[in-house]
Amino acid sequence: MEPKPRLLTILDAVTAALFAIAVGLVFFYAPTEAVMGQVQRVFYFHVAAGWVGMLSFLAAAFAGIVYLRTGRRHWDIVGVAAVEIGIAFIFINIVTGSIWARPIWNTWWTWDPRLTTATIMELIYAAYLMLRQGIEDPDRRGRFGAVYAIVGFISVPLTFMSARLFRTIHPIVIGSNQPGAEGQFDMTPRMLQTFMFSLLTFTFVFVDLLWHRVRLGKLADHVEQLKLKLAA
Amino acid sequence: MFFQQAPADTGAYMIAGYAVIFGVMAIYLISLVIRRRSLQQDLQVLEEMEKKEPPQ
Amino acid sequence: MDGAPVVSHAKTPGLLEGMRLYLRSIAALVWKDLAAELRSRELLSAMLVFALLVILIFNFALELDTRTRATVTAGVLWVTFAFAGTLGLNRSMAMEKDRGCLDGLLLAPVDRSAIYFGKAIGNLIFMILVEVIVLPIYSVLYNINLFQGGLLLVILLGSLGYVAVGTLLSAMAVQTRTRDILLPILLFPVAIPVLIAAVKSSTGFLQGLEMAEISPWLNLLLVYDVVFIAVAFMVFDYVVEE
Repeated sequence: MEPKPRLLTILDAVTAALFAIAVGLVFFYAPTEAVMGQVQRVFYFHVAAGWVGMLSFLAAAFAGIVYLRTGRRHWDIVGVAAVEIGIAFIFINIVTGSIWARPIWNTWWTWDPRLTTATIMELIYAAYLMLRQGIEDPDRRGRFGAVYAIVGFISVPLTFMSARLFRTIHPIVIGSNQPGAEGQFDMTPRMLQTFMFSLLTFTFVFVDLLWHRVRLGKLADHVEQLKLKLAA
Repeated sequence: MFFQQAPADTGAYMIAGYAVIFGVMAIYLISLVIRRRSLQQDLQVLEEMEKKEPPQ
Repeated sequence: MDGAPVVSHAKTPGLLEGMRLYLRSIAALVWKDLAAELRSRELLSAMLVFALLVILIFNFALELDTRTRATVTAGVLWVTFAFAGTLGLNRSMAMEKDRGCLDGLLLAPVDRSAIYFGKAIGNLIFMILVEVIVLPIYSVLYNINLFQGGLLLVILLGSLGYVAVGTLLSAMAVQTRTRDILLPILLFPVAIPVLIAAVKSSTGFLQGLEMAEISPWLNLLLVYDVVFIAVAFMVFDYVVEE
């Protein structure tokens, strides 16, 4: 296996530093929200995790398109890697959202468009992994995975739109103020800075994790081929 | 809730939230490390086997 | 069933000739499915009995009394159609696979997307046949008039979208080890927008809501149909490649 690239080591260090700073900002720099209290701090990493989930879904669909075009194994490995990271982070997103909603909306769960869409995204990711598990031929596994990643990605905005046509109570913190959304708050400059920094940090986390996971995938591929060679 | 003076006491929920965030991320990182370790062990065994019986 | 589509003189056709060939092979495929079904009737009868059973179960699970009926009819119908549809999709593709028809079709000198359209149209016909039989039965059982132009349009658009994705995904599902359980798992999360939109617009028509309230849902149905037919057309090649 090729040695760990220098750039990856640097990326690890930068990501770890950014993450430490982001945690510091969230707990010590951002002010306590006047109405919701401490639980509002969950918001920063909650949105950032959702952002990583979206990024990985996008990455998986993109890798799928490139894989279908070129047929290079590399892009199949990138696709699985992205999906796996997406599952972990959408899970964080859903659970933290639920924990936030309990004191603020007075319920663990509602069928709000974002919650619904995130849940369905998680199910699509899970289905993607189950599809791959059922196929032995690596070439076909890659093709089917790519097709499903593309189809799934395209369905997500449609799912969101269909869920949105229902009434929503999820706060839209960025952009237009929507009357009636409970748990709405105006971000002070410090909150906004913390929020933006969290997004940046999690983007780095995503790239770093993806890189590591792709390297792991390539190692697994290498081992698999060696096994086949020895078995033959 | 919207008319009270002091912020609501929701610290426990914040702790739970960040426990989940750090917990899941830690579990994922550990799973990456474990998988890499076991693959490297497999690789070593396989490479030794390859040396012992060179392909005909 | 018996033989690949009849494509006799496939020289180097011009555009018009190519188009005619393309349509002819789609028609041949659809006809093959219909003829096979006409002989065995196993697919339609299974879908139909299954659909009626689902409605029967809903009857006891939901206590479909007069008051609840108005609000849940659309939901009951679409869940029934979706389940019966999955059954049909899986079976129709599995038959191709088991009898080696898929391999035969791949050898035919015709664009692979023709296979997709042929199978999709066949599946759509089966689904609509089931719906055409279920609707009057439901109407009689629960004393609701389901034969309204708007509702029928929704059923057509909804089934079209469902089948468009379903045909693509069932072609993948039958080529896996876990094929019997995989199709619903793959299809339902992706088909949720079409099911929500279909249920909502059906309810709208049944409750006599104004067009302004229904049209966003109809638009969503249309967008879904167009988008997924286009996507399936583009990627189907990779699903049947050998």
